[in-house]
Amino acid sequence: MSERGVSMNCAEAVVAIGARCDGELAGDAAAALDAHVAGCAACRAEQAALVALRDEIRAQAPRHVAPPALRARVDAELARAFAGAGVDARPVTPTIAARAKEAVLARARSWTRERRRWFAAGAFAGALLAVVVGALTGVVARHWGGDDVAVAAVESHVAATLGGHAITVASSDRHQIKPWLSARLDYAAPVVELADSPFVLAGARVDRLGGRPVATLVYRYRLHVVDVFVRPLADAGDAPALTMVRGFTVARASGAGMEWRAVADVEPAVLAAFVGQLARTAAVPSPVGR
Amino acid sequence: MTDRAVFEAQVLPHLDAAYNLARWLTRDPHDAEDVVQEACVRALRYLASLREGGARAWFLTIVRHASYDWIERHRDRDVGDAAIEVAGDAESEPAQIAERRGDSRALAQAIAALELPYREVIVLRELEELSYKEIASVAAIPIGTVMSRLARARALLRQSPMLHAIAPRRSGGER
Repeated sequence: MSERGVSMNCAEAVVAIGARCDGELAGDAAAALDAHVAGCAACRAEQAALVALRDEIRAQAPRHVAPPALRARVDAELARAFAGAGVDARPVTPTIAARAKEAVLARARSWTRERRRWFAAGAFAGALLAVVVGALTGVVARHWGGDDVAVAAVESHVAATLGGHAITVASSDRHQIKPWLSARLDYAAPVVELADSPFVLAGARVDRLGGRPVATLVYRYRLHVVDVFVRPLADAGDAPALTMVRGFTVARASGAGMEWRAVADVEPAVLAAFVGQLARTAAVPSPVGR
Repeated sequence: MTDRAVFEAQVLPHLDAAYNLARWLTRDPHDAEDVVQEACVRALRYLASLREGGARAWFLTIVRHASYDWIERHRDRDVGDAAIEVAGDAESEPAQIAERRGDSRALAQAIAALELPYREVIVLRELEELSYKEIASVAAIPIGTVMSRLARARALLRQSPMLHAIAPRRSGGER
Protein backbone atom coordinates (compact mmCIF):
# COMPACT_ATOMS: atom_id res chain seq x y z
CA MET A 1 0.00 0.00 0.00
CA SER A 2 1.41 3.39 -0.94
CA GLU A 3 2.49 5.68 1.83
CA ARG A 4 0.71 8.74 0.50
CA GLY A 5 -2.73 8.86 -1.10
CA VAL A 6 -4.47 6.52 1.30
CA SER A 7 -2.52 7.55 4.35
CA MET A 8 -4.10 9.19 7.31
CA ASN A 9 -2.76 11.27 10.15
CA CYS A 10 -3.55 10.60 13.79
CA ALA A 11 -6.09 13.40 14.03
CA GLU A 12 -8.12 11.93 11.17
CA ALA A 13 -7.64 8.47 12.56
CA VAL A 14 -9.19 9.34 15.91
CA VAL A 15 -12.56 10.07 14.34
CA ALA A 16 -12.24 7.20 11.86
CA ILE A 17 -11.38 4.70 14.60
CA GLY A 18 -14.71 5.40 16.22
CA ALA A 19 -16.52 4.81 12.95
CA ARG A 20 -14.54 1.61 12.41
CA CYS A 21 -15.57 0.36 15.87
CA ASP A 22 -19.16 1.24 15.03
CA GLY A 23 -19.02 -0.79 11.83
CA GLU A 24 -19.59 2.36 9.80
CA LEU A 25 -16.30 2.45 7.92
CA ALA A 26 -15.77 0.37 4.81
CA GLY A 27 -13.73 0.16 1.62
CA ASP A 28 -10.82 2.54 1.08
CA ALA A 29 -11.41 4.49 4.23
CA ALA A 30 -11.30 1.32 6.31
CA ALA A 31 -8.17 0.16 4.52
CA ALA A 32 -6.47 3.51 5.05
CA LEU A 33 -7.31 3.45 8.71
CA ASP A 34 -6.15 -0.12 9.18
CA ALA A 35 -2.85 0.76 7.47
CA HIS A 36 -2.35 3.71 9.77
CA VAL A 37 -3.28 1.80 12.90
CA ALA A 38 -0.95 -1.03 11.97
CA GLY A 39 1.97 1.36 11.97
CA CYS A 40 0.97 3.59 14.87
CA ALA A 41 1.15 2.36 18.44
CA ALA A 42 -0.73 5.38 19.78
CA CYS A 43 -3.68 4.77 17.47
CA ARG A 44 -3.63 1.07 18.25
CA ALA A 45 -3.95 1.96 21.90
CA GLU A 46 -6.69 4.40 21.00
CA GLN A 47 -8.59 1.72 19.14
CA ALA A 48 -8.26 -0.74 22.02
CA ALA A 49 -9.46 1.91 24.46
CA LEU A 50 -12.49 2.74 22.34
CA VAL A 51 -13.45 -0.90 22.02
CA ALA A 52 -13.09 -1.27 25.80
CA LEU A 53 -15.24 1.81 26.39
CA ARG A 54 -17.92 0.58 24.03
CA ASP A 55 -17.98 -2.81 25.73
CA GLU A 56 -18.19 -1.14 29.13
CA ILE A 57 -21.10 1.04 28.10
CA ARG A 58 -23.03 -1.80 26.51
CA ALA A 59 -22.42 -4.08 29.44
CA GLN A 60 -23.10 -1.59 32.16
CA ALA A 61 -25.05 1.50 31.24
CA PRO A 62 -28.69 0.77 32.02
CA ARG A 63 -31.03 0.52 29.07
CA HIS A 64 -34.15 1.64 30.86
CA VAL A 65 -37.31 -0.32 30.25
CA ALA A 66 -40.72 1.32 29.99
CA PRO A 67 -42.48 0.74 33.33
CA PRO A 68 -45.93 -0.87 33.34
CA ALA A 69 -47.51 2.38 34.52
CA LEU A 70 -46.29 4.05 31.34
CA ARG A 71 -47.76 1.28 29.22
CA ALA A 72 -51.06 1.77 30.99
CA ARG A 73 -50.92 5.51 30.38
CA VAL A 74 -50.16 5.05 26.70
CA ASP A 75 -53.02 2.64 26.48
CA ALA A 76 -55.36 5.11 28.14
CA GLU A 77 -54.13 7.68 25.62
CA LEU A 78 -54.99 5.31 22.79
CA ALA A 79 -58.38 4.63 24.28
CA ARG A 80 -58.99 8.36 24.50
CA ALA A 81 -57.76 9.01 20.98
CA PHE A 82 -59.99 6.35 19.51
CA ALA A 83 -62.93 6.77 21.85
CA GLY A 84 -64.98 8.20 19.01
CA ALA A 85 -64.22 5.29 16.69
CA GLY A 86 -66.50 2.74 18.30
CA VAL A 87 -69.01 2.48 21.08
CA ASP A 88 -67.15 -0.25 22.93
CA ALA A 89 -63.63 0.83 22.07
CA ARG A 90 -61.39 -2.08 22.86
CA PRO A 91 -57.85 -1.14 23.82
CA VAL A 92 -56.21 -3.83 21.73
CA THR A 93 -57.35 -5.22 18.40
CA PRO A 94 -57.63 -9.01 18.50
CA THR A 95 -54.81 -9.77 16.02
CA ILE A 96 -52.41 -7.47 17.77
CA ALA A 97 -53.53 -8.88 21.08
CA ALA A 98 -52.72 -12.39 19.98
CA ARG A 99 -49.29 -11.38 18.76
CA ALA A 100 -48.53 -9.25 21.77
CA LYS A 101 -49.74 -11.79 24.29
CA GLU A 102 -46.58 -13.87 24.52
CA ALA A 103 -44.37 -10.83 24.81
CA VAL A 104 -46.61 -9.42 27.48
CA LEU A 105 -46.61 -12.63 29.46
CA ALA A 106 -42.83 -12.90 29.25
CA ARG A 107 -42.56 -9.30 30.33
CA ALA A 108 -44.96 -9.88 33.18
CA ARG A 109 -42.91 -12.78 34.40
CA SER A 110 -39.64 -10.91 34.33
CA TRP A 111 -41.23 -7.84 35.85
CA THR A 112 -42.59 -9.92 38.68
CA ARG A 113 -39.16 -11.39 39.24
CA GLU A 114 -37.65 -7.94 39.26
CA ARG A 115 -40.15 -6.63 41.70
CA ARG A 116 -39.62 -9.56 43.95
CA ARG A 117 -35.89 -9.04 43.97
CA TRP A 118 -36.30 -5.37 44.52
CA PHE A 119 -38.57 -5.96 47.40
CA ALA A 120 -36.23 -8.41 48.97
CA ALA A 121 -34.00 -5.38 49.31
CA GLY A 122 -36.81 -3.01 50.16
CA ALA A 123 -38.68 -5.37 52.46
CA PHE A 124 -37.12 -3.95 55.56
CA ALA A 125 -38.10 -0.39 54.73
CA GLY A 126 -41.55 -1.58 53.69
CA ALA A 127 -42.04 -3.54 56.87
CA LEU A 128 -40.91 -0.59 58.92
CA LEU A 129 -43.40 1.69 57.18
CA ALA A 130 -46.20 -0.82 57.65
CA VAL A 131 -45.39 -1.09 61.34
CA VAL A 132 -45.50 2.67 61.70
CA VAL A 133 -48.83 2.81 59.89
CA GLY A 134 -50.05 -0.07 62.01
CA ALA A 135 -49.12 1.69 65.19
CA LEU A 136 -51.09 4.72 64.01
CA THR A 137 -54.25 3.02 62.87
CA GLY A 138 -54.24 -0.28 64.70
CA VAL A 139 -55.87 -2.06 61.78
CA VAL A 140 -52.84 -3.25 59.91
CA ALA A 141 -51.98 -6.80 59.22
CA ARG A 142 -48.91 -7.53 57.18
CA HIS A 143 -49.30 -10.45 54.84
CA TRP A 144 -46.53 -11.22 52.41
CA GLY A 145 -48.68 -13.15 50.01
CA GLY A 146 -51.21 -14.71 52.37
CA ASP A 147 -54.74 -13.54 51.54
CA ASP A 148 -55.87 -15.29 48.33
CA VAL A 149 -58.17 -12.57 47.11
CA ALA A 150 -55.46 -9.97 47.62
CA VAL A 151 -53.10 -12.11 45.56
CA ALA A 152 -55.74 -12.51 42.85
CA ALA A 153 -56.38 -8.76 42.91
CA VAL A 154 -52.68 -8.03 42.49
CA GLU A 155 -52.39 -10.55 39.69
CA SER A 156 -55.29 -8.95 37.94
CA HIS A 157 -53.77 -5.50 38.46
CA VAL A 158 -50.40 -6.59 37.08
CA ALA A 159 -51.89 -8.44 34.14
CA ALA A 160 -54.11 -5.51 33.26
CA THR A 161 -51.45 -2.83 33.47
CA LEU A 162 -48.81 -4.92 31.74
CA GLY A 163 -51.16 -6.21 29.11
CA GLY A 164 -52.30 -2.68 28.45
CA HIS A 165 -55.95 -3.42 29.07
CA ALA A 166 -56.27 -1.62 32.38
CA ILE A 167 -59.23 0.32 31.10
CA THR A 168 -62.02 -1.05 28.96
CA VAL A 169 -64.28 1.93 29.30
CA ALA A 170 -62.25 5.11 29.52
CA SER A 171 -64.08 7.94 31.18
CA SER A 172 -63.71 10.28 34.08
CA ASP A 173 -67.48 10.57 34.27
CA ARG A 174 -69.09 8.18 36.71
CA HIS A 175 -72.45 8.59 34.99
CA GLN A 176 -70.90 6.97 31.97
CA ILE A 177 -69.03 4.25 33.82
CA LYS A 178 -71.84 3.17 36.12
CA PRO A 179 -74.33 2.03 33.44
CA TRP A 180 -71.52 0.33 31.55
CA LEU A 181 -70.66 -1.69 34.65
CA SER A 182 -74.26 -2.40 35.57
CA ALA A 183 -74.83 -3.93 32.15
CA ARG A 184 -72.04 -6.42 32.83
CA LEU A 185 -72.55 -7.32 36.49
CA ASP A 186 -75.29 -8.80 38.64
CA TYR A 187 -74.95 -5.96 41.13
CA ALA A 188 -74.84 -2.18 40.89
CA ALA A 189 -71.34 -1.07 41.76
CA PRO A 190 -71.08 2.46 43.10
CA VAL A 191 -68.70 4.59 41.08
CA VAL A 192 -67.06 7.36 43.04
CA GLU A 193 -65.29 10.45 41.84
CA LEU A 194 -63.42 12.32 44.51
CA ALA A 195 -63.35 16.05 44.13
CA ASP A 196 -60.00 17.74 44.82
CA SER A 197 -58.25 14.41 45.17
CA PRO A 198 -54.96 13.42 43.55
CA PHE A 199 -56.73 10.16 42.70
CA VAL A 200 -58.47 10.79 39.42
CA LEU A 201 -61.05 8.46 37.96
CA ALA A 202 -59.79 7.22 34.59
CA GLY A 203 -62.15 4.42 33.67
CA ALA A 204 -63.22 0.90 34.50
CA ARG A 205 -63.14 -2.71 33.46
CA VAL A 206 -64.67 -5.96 34.61
CA ASP A 207 -62.42 -8.59 36.22
CA ARG A 208 -62.96 -11.86 38.01
CA LEU A 209 -62.25 -12.10 41.68
CA GLY A 210 -63.05 -15.12 43.84
CA GLY A 211 -64.65 -16.75 40.79
CA ARG A 212 -67.15 -13.93 40.20
CA PRO A 213 -67.21 -10.94 37.91
CA VAL A 214 -66.24 -7.81 39.75
CA ALA A 215 -66.23 -4.10 38.95
CA THR A 216 -62.73 -2.64 38.69
CA LEU A 217 -62.53 1.11 38.87
CA VAL A 218 -59.29 2.53 37.54
CA TYR A 219 -57.86 5.68 39.04
CA ARG A 220 -54.68 7.55 38.35
CA TYR A 221 -52.60 8.74 41.22
CA ARG A 222 -49.71 10.83 39.95
CA LEU A 223 -48.06 8.38 37.60
CA HIS A 224 -49.50 5.29 39.19
CA VAL A 225 -52.42 3.25 38.01
CA VAL A 226 -54.70 2.31 40.88
CA ASP A 227 -57.23 -0.49 40.53
CA VAL A 228 -60.16 -0.56 42.89
CA PHE A 229 -62.14 -3.79 42.97
CA VAL A 230 -65.68 -3.22 44.14
CA ARG A 231 -67.88 -6.16 45.08
CA PRO A 232 -70.78 -6.87 47.43
CA LEU A 233 -69.70 -7.43 51.03
CA ALA A 234 -71.73 -10.64 50.91
CA ASP A 235 -69.18 -12.09 48.48
CA ALA A 236 -66.24 -10.93 50.53
CA GLY A 237 -64.81 -12.67 53.54
CA ASP A 238 -62.85 -11.14 56.33
CA ALA A 239 -59.49 -9.77 55.26
CA PRO A 240 -56.83 -7.45 56.64
CA ALA A 241 -57.22 -3.76 55.93
CA LEU A 242 -53.74 -3.55 54.53
CA THR A 243 -51.71 -6.22 52.80
CA MET A 244 -48.54 -6.25 50.78
CA VAL A 245 -48.42 -8.68 47.90
CA ARG A 246 -45.30 -8.87 45.76
CA GLY A 247 -44.51 -5.30 46.59
CA PHE A 248 -47.95 -3.99 45.74
CA THR A 249 -50.12 -2.45 48.37
CA VAL A 250 -53.61 -3.88 48.76
CA ALA A 251 -55.85 -1.69 50.92
CA ARG A 252 -59.37 -2.66 51.88
CA ALA A 253 -62.37 -0.83 53.23
CA SER A 254 -66.11 -1.38 53.35
CA GLY A 255 -68.95 1.02 52.72
CA ALA A 256 -72.29 1.17 50.90
CA GLY A 257 -72.62 -2.59 51.29
CA MET A 258 -69.50 -3.10 49.22
CA GLU A 259 -65.98 -4.26 49.77
CA TRP A 260 -63.46 -1.82 48.25
CA ARG A 261 -60.05 -3.19 47.52
CA ALA A 262 -57.43 -0.91 46.05
CA VAL A 263 -54.25 -2.26 44.47
CA ALA A 264 -51.29 -0.15 43.42
CA ASP A 265 -47.61 0.39 44.04
CA VAL A 266 -48.47 3.34 46.21
CA GLU A 267 -47.43 3.92 49.83
CA PRO A 268 -49.68 1.90 52.16
CA ALA A 269 -50.79 4.88 54.23
CA VAL A 270 -51.81 6.84 51.14
CA LEU A 271 -53.67 3.98 49.53
CA ALA A 272 -55.44 3.06 52.78
CA ALA A 273 -56.61 6.65 53.18
CA PHE A 274 -57.84 6.73 49.60
CA VAL A 275 -59.85 3.51 49.75
CA GLY A 276 -61.32 4.57 53.09
CA GLN A 277 -62.43 7.84 51.56
CA LEU A 278 -64.00 6.01 48.59
CA ALA A 279 -66.00 3.72 50.85
CA ARG A 280 -67.15 6.60 53.05
CA THR A 281 -68.11 8.76 50.09
CA ALA A 282 -70.10 5.92 48.55
CA ALA A 283 -71.90 5.34 51.84
CA VAL A 284 -73.16 8.92 52.01
CA PRO A 285 -76.36 9.26 49.96
CA SER A 286 -75.82 11.78 47.21
CA PRO A 287 -78.59 14.07 45.97
CA VAL A 288 -77.52 13.39 42.39
CA GLY A 289 -77.73 9.67 42.95
CA ARG A 290 -75.07 7.25 41.96
CA MET B 1 -55.13 -1.23 8.91
CA THR B 2 -56.65 1.33 11.15
CA ASP B 3 -54.47 4.03 12.67
CA ARG B 4 -54.74 2.32 15.95
CA ALA B 5 -53.55 -1.00 14.57
CA VAL B 6 -50.66 0.73 12.81
CA PHE B 7 -49.67 2.46 16.01
CA GLU B 8 -49.85 -0.74 18.00
CA ALA B 9 -47.95 -2.80 15.45
CA GLN B 10 -45.31 -0.28 14.40
CA VAL B 11 -44.81 2.20 17.20
CA LEU B 12 -45.61 0.46 20.48
CA PRO B 13 -42.87 -2.17 20.07
CA HIS B 14 -40.41 0.72 20.46
CA LEU B 15 -41.82 1.94 23.75
CA ASP B 16 -38.77 0.69 25.66
CA ALA B 17 -36.43 2.48 23.27
CA ALA B 18 -38.55 5.61 23.60
CA TYR B 19 -38.52 5.46 27.38
CA ASN B 20 -34.80 4.77 27.48
CA LEU B 21 -34.03 7.79 25.31
CA ALA B 22 -36.39 10.06 27.23
CA ARG B 23 -35.01 8.79 30.50
CA TRP B 24 -31.43 9.57 29.52
CA LEU B 25 -32.34 12.95 28.08
CA THR B 26 -34.54 14.15 30.94
CA ARG B 27 -32.54 12.23 33.56
CA ASP B 28 -35.69 11.56 35.54
CA PRO B 29 -37.91 8.46 35.49
CA HIS B 30 -41.19 10.29 35.98
CA ASP B 31 -40.46 13.05 33.54
CA ALA B 32 -39.44 10.41 31.02
CA GLU B 33 -42.89 8.85 31.37
CA ASP B 34 -44.56 12.20 30.76
CA VAL B 35 -42.36 12.80 27.75
CA VAL B 36 -43.11 9.41 26.22
CA GLN B 37 -46.81 9.83 26.79
CA GLU B 38 -46.67 13.20 25.06
CA ALA B 39 -44.59 11.65 22.26
CA CYS B 40 -47.28 9.00 21.78
CA VAL B 41 -49.92 11.68 21.42
CA ARG B 42 -47.79 13.41 18.80
CA ALA B 43 -46.99 10.13 17.07
CA LEU B 44 -50.70 9.44 16.72
CA ARG B 45 -51.16 12.86 15.23
CA TYR B 46 -48.34 12.44 12.71
CA LEU B 47 -48.96 8.80 11.97
CA ALA B 48 -49.44 9.54 8.29
CA SER B 49 -45.78 10.52 8.01
CA LEU B 50 -44.60 7.10 9.22
CA ARG B 51 -42.79 5.11 6.52
CA GLU B 52 -42.59 1.35 6.38
CA GLY B 53 -39.54 0.01 8.19
CA GLY B 54 -38.51 3.30 9.74
CA ALA B 55 -40.76 3.26 12.77
CA ARG B 56 -38.05 3.20 15.41
CA ALA B 57 -36.05 6.17 14.15
CA TRP B 58 -39.31 7.98 13.39
CA PHE B 59 -40.67 7.47 16.88
CA LEU B 60 -37.34 8.28 18.52
CA THR B 61 -37.25 11.53 16.56
CA ILE B 62 -40.59 12.45 18.08
CA VAL B 63 -39.45 11.36 21.53
CA ARG B 64 -36.32 13.47 21.18
CA HIS B 65 -38.40 16.51 20.21
CA ALA B 66 -40.73 15.95 23.14
CA SER B 67 -37.72 15.57 25.45
CA TYR B 68 -36.16 18.80 24.23
CA ASP B 69 -39.47 20.60 24.67
CA TRP B 70 -39.69 19.26 28.19
CA ILE B 71 -36.11 20.29 28.95
CA GLU B 72 -36.82 23.76 27.59
CA ARG B 73 -39.89 24.09 29.80
CA HIS B 74 -38.12 22.84 32.91
CA ARG B 75 -34.80 24.55 32.51
CA ASP B 76 -35.12 26.10 35.95
CA ARG B 77 -35.44 22.85 37.81
CA ASP B 78 -32.46 21.00 36.44
CA VAL B 79 -30.90 19.19 39.36
CA GLY B 80 -27.31 18.34 40.10
CA ASP B 81 -25.85 15.37 38.30
CA ALA B 82 -25.11 13.37 41.42
CA ALA B 83 -28.67 13.60 42.68
CA ILE B 84 -30.03 12.47 39.34
CA GLU B 85 -28.48 9.08 39.09
CA VAL B 86 -28.89 8.18 42.72
CA ALA B 87 -32.59 8.93 42.47
CA GLY B 88 -32.76 7.08 39.18
CA ASP B 89 -31.17 3.96 40.56
CA ALA B 90 -33.52 3.72 43.47
CA GLU B 91 -36.50 4.18 41.26
CA SER B 92 -36.63 1.41 38.72
CA GLU B 93 -35.20 -1.56 36.89
CA PRO B 94 -33.76 -2.90 40.11
CA ALA B 95 -32.65 -6.21 38.67
CA GLN B 96 -30.74 -4.65 35.82
CA ILE B 97 -28.93 -2.47 38.24
CA ALA B 98 -28.36 -5.19 40.78
CA GLU B 99 -26.82 -7.44 38.19
CA ARG B 100 -24.22 -4.91 37.27
CA ARG B 101 -20.87 -4.56 38.85
CA GLY B 102 -19.89 -1.75 41.14
CA ASP B 103 -18.59 0.63 38.52
CA SER B 104 -21.83 0.66 36.55
CA ARG B 105 -23.17 3.54 38.56
CA ALA B 106 -20.07 5.57 37.84
CA LEU B 107 -20.46 4.90 34.16
CA ALA B 108 -24.14 5.83 34.20
CA GLN B 109 -23.29 9.02 36.06
CA ALA B 110 -20.57 9.88 33.59
CA ILE B 111 -23.01 9.49 30.70
CA ALA B 112 -25.71 11.42 32.53
CA ALA B 113 -23.22 14.22 33.12
CA LEU B 114 -22.49 14.62 29.41
CA GLU B 115 -23.97 17.62 27.71
CA LEU B 116 -27.15 16.85 25.82
CA PRO B 117 -25.70 16.73 22.26
CA TYR B 118 -23.08 14.21 23.39
CA ARG B 119 -25.35 12.26 25.68
CA GLU B 120 -27.94 11.68 23.00
CA VAL B 121 -25.52 10.33 20.39
CA ILE B 122 -23.97 7.96 22.94
CA VAL B 123 -27.38 6.65 24.01
CA LEU B 124 -28.62 6.28 20.44
CA ARG B 125 -25.45 4.57 19.32
CA GLU B 126 -24.45 2.38 22.27
CA LEU B 127 -27.75 1.60 23.95
CA GLU B 128 -30.17 1.73 21.03
CA GLU B 129 -27.53 0.64 18.51
CA LEU B 130 -28.76 2.95 15.80
CA SER B 131 -26.69 3.39 12.63
CA TYR B 132 -25.04 6.74 11.94
CA LYS B 133 -27.68 7.37 9.32
CA GLU B 134 -30.47 6.77 11.79
CA ILE B 135 -28.78 8.91 14.43
CA ALA B 136 -28.36 11.68 11.86
CA SER B 137 -32.07 11.51 11.14
CA VAL B 138 -33.16 11.35 14.78
CA ALA B 139 -30.86 14.13 15.98
CA ALA B 140 -31.31 16.21 12.80
CA ILE B 141 -27.57 16.56 12.17
CA PRO B 142 -25.31 15.54 9.25
CA ILE B 143 -23.56 12.17 9.43
CA GLY B 144 -20.19 13.93 9.77
CA THR B 145 -21.49 15.63 12.88
CA VAL B 146 -22.69 12.28 14.24
CA MET B 147 -19.12 11.01 13.88
CA SER B 148 -17.45 14.00 15.46
CA ARG B 149 -19.97 14.16 18.31
CA LEU B 150 -19.53 10.49 19.06
CA ALA B 151 -15.76 10.91 19.05
CA ARG B 152 -16.04 13.88 21.37
CA ALA B 153 -18.53 12.14 23.64
CA ARG B 154 -16.24 9.15 23.98
CA ALA B 155 -13.24 11.33 24.69
CA LEU B 156 -15.26 13.10 27.39
CA LEU B 157 -16.33 9.81 28.92
CA ARG B 158 -12.78 8.56 29.06
CA GLN B 159 -11.65 11.76 30.73
CA SER B 160 -14.55 11.72 33.16
CA PRO B 161 -13.39 11.92 36.76
CA MET B 162 -16.30 9.62 37.59
CA LEU B 163 -14.76 6.78 35.66
CA HIS B 164 -11.85 5.40 37.58
CA ALA B 165 -12.69 1.95 36.41
CA ILE B 166 -12.32 2.70 32.73
CA ALA B 167 -9.62 5.32 32.67
CA PRO B 168 -6.63 3.00 33.19
CA ARG B 169 -7.54 0.94 30.16
CA ARG B 170 -7.05 3.95 28.03
CA SER B 171 -3.34 3.35 27.78
CA GLY B 172 -3.67 0.23 25.74
CA GLY B 173 -5.03 -2.14 28.38
CA GLU B 174 -6.62 -5.27 26.97
CA ARG B 175 -9.62 -7.22 28.03
